[in-house]
Amino acid sequence: MVRVKSRYLLCEINVSDRRDLLKLDDRAVAGSVKAAVARTHGDYGAALCSIRFCVKYLNAHTGIVFLRFHKGFYKLLWSALPFITSIECRGQIIPCFLNCLHVGGTIRTCQKFLIRYNTRQLHQMLPKYKNKVEEKRKIQEAILSCSLTGGGNKALEDELESEEEDDE
Amino acid sequence: MSVFMDLNVLFSADRSRLQSLVETAAHLGFSTVAINYVFEPTTKKKQEVPSPVPISELIGHLPVVQGRSRPIKVLNRLTVVMSEASHFRPNATEYRAFDLLAIQPTTEKLFHTTCMLCDVDIICISVTEKLPFFFKRAPINGAIDRGVVFEVSYASALRDSTMRRYTIANAVCLMESCKGKNVIVSSAAEKALELRGPYDIINLYPPADDKCLIGPSHSEGTWKSTLCIRLHETWCVVFLTSLSEGRCLVCQMLTLKKPCLPPAEPFYCMQKPGRLLVALCTPGSVSRTPFRTASVKLLLPNDPNQPDGD
Repeated sequence: MVRVKSRYLLCEINVSDRRDLLKLDDRAVAGSVKAAVARTHGDYGAALCSIRFCVKYLNAHTGIVFLRFHKGFYKLLWSALPFITSIECRGQIIPCFLNCLHVGGTIRTCQKFLIRYNTRQLHQMLPKYKNKVEEKRKIQEAILSCSLTGGGNKALEDELESEEEDDE
Repeated sequence: MSVFMDLNVLFSADRSRLQSLVETAAHLGFSTVAINYVFEPTTKKKQEVPSPVPISELIGHLPVVQGRSRPIKVLNRLTVVMSEASHFRPNATEYRAFDLLAIQPTTEKLFHTTCMLCDVDIICISVTEKLPFFFKRAPINGAIDRGVVFEVSYASALRDSTMRRYTIANAVCLMESCKGKNVIVSSAAEKALELRGPYDIINLYPPADDKCLIGPSHSEGTWKSTLCIRLHETWCVVFLTSLSEGRCLVCQMLTLKKPCLPPAEPFYCMQKPGRLLVALCTPGSVSRTPFRTASVKLLLPNDPNQPDGD
């Protein structure tokens, strides 16, 4: 049985100014990835990028993006990702870079990794909120409610979003 | 347990920039960072070797490394750009304040002297210009025996496409002569946005440099019959320890010292737990020894790209 297989790259977009993250959308990210691949690997790379490449998920609050590539040549396309220096979105150029956290065969494995990663990030944020008891309680609740089901994940994202807004 | 270090982070007088650089490095997973002071002496006027600012003054609170529980370690490093032999004085007292010492030679003769004689840790390969000299095996092997590493930096590749070509060209030349031994990759980052994650860098160089290509799709666990194994040593992103985890599958050819060039196509592969038995057919020797078997030890990576929790 021949099954169509892909590779999902879990990347994190790092920007210097967190407010710029909210301006991103998935078409802008896809466009910049294709441009970087074309610049690095030429016409061959640009052609490979048109086969089964898409941005599956973008979280503008945390800067997490899932990219899907064809299994046969995801490494070639992955090697072009460090050359992304900025993403252009609606006329604005946002300087950033992509950091790949995880490569998975399915979205589910990537999601599992993402939940563990986000839990770790929340743990790291805990010491910063020593004085604010209310925030601390919210973080702890979010950590405890992390799970693979849709409800838990949503609580996590809401929590992260409010934390990052406080961070600024 | 892979430890990643970025040993070239350019010093700038702007404290906040350095602070954000170190924080980004910690977030990406680098356990150690070395702040690089570049010193370029000219014969015209006497210049002072810069003395390193103490770390506690530069960066207030050291951030914790992503995935581990310890804060990031910051070292001091001096790079001397040598255009003449007198520029580098071997036992100068100013050099003792630095943890790491690096040299960037600009001529072939200097490169030879640096590899064989000078007491340095790192030899920088310039990436902003086409190398005016070729690498020779003799000084490179001498340097490898002494424990000196060669450094390639990638920040200029991110800025300009001509620089990218020079970086790749110089890196490929280096790889051909040194077979991948004793090489480190570092960013010469001036801003926090010029840093890249360690797994991205591991993946960056193999397609550019053919010698490093390890083989197709072994992560799936099945070996295709037309597998071409290139002879190469482990590619180091980690400073002075061998990389065995990470995305690449590293094969060490234990017995095959004389390469049958071009690499013969192996047609029989048997996978035992932890070992791969490969039979190669040497071209042109059908009658005497049609098969040469090599037992290759597999160093399998963990599940991809997971930074190890400590």
